[in-house]
Amino acid sequence: MAERRVTVESEVGLHARPAALFVEAASKAAGTVTVAKGDGTPVPAKSILAVMGLDVRNGDEIVINVDGDDAEAVLDRLAEIANAG
Amino acid sequence: MLPVLSPVPGTAVAMTGVPDPVFAQGMVGPGAAVEPDRAPQDALAPITGRILKLHPHAFVVVSTEGRGVLVHLGIDTVTLGGAGFDLLAAEGDQVEAGTPVIRWNPADVAAGGRAPIVPVVALDAAPDAVADPAAGEVAAGDRLFSWA
Repeated sequence: MAERRVTVESEVGLHARPAALFVEAASKAAGTVTVAKGDGTPVPAKSILAVMGLDVRNGDEIVINVDGDDAEAVLDRLAEIANAG
Repeated sequence: MLPVLSPVPGTAVAMTGVPDPVFAQGMVGPGAAVEPDRAPQDALAPITGRILKLHPHAFVVVSTEGRGVLVHLGIDTVTLGGAGFDLLAAEGDQVEAGTPVIRWNPADVAAGGRAPIVPVVALDAAPDAVADPAAGEVAAGDRLFSWA
């Protein structure tokens, strides 16, 4: 399992568009992917309802956990999305 | 079958008609959209449930069975910072389908150069879970589609 802490630089946080891209990228991972806001409870990153429910805003820190052989690549992609737009 | 109501009055259009690829390609989820009448109006809760998230320009209602529906008032309206949107309910409220949630005026959004179209999205639903979409004119509170 690999973990990364990312400060979200996306101007609108993980709102509709970035949230959809984030969930799409997470869904391509082979294993389980979770995301938490700060030290909050992790939620499934493959669920757009769960990710929107986190209400991640610009400047918030998120903690992403990924299982599986492709974990580092998945983390790279998710961090990129969290910081774009 | 969960009936999902049109939050606004206008013309029902397919999600593919939304001028934002993230919605048009179904990445947020399946559903339908409404080209709203250009007049001041209240956007209604599309289903009965709890308001999970409430932004000035968008909200999510989750049913007791855990089905979430996103209503997004216009495209790129997040950049308006809430100007022109009045909240009529609060996050965490339990609402009946048809309860007014946000007052807004699509004419103002259009005048600002943004598309006021309203995507209504079944979150975490399979692409084929949306059935029997409405076509043509809809009143606020009319059934927009059914969620299998």
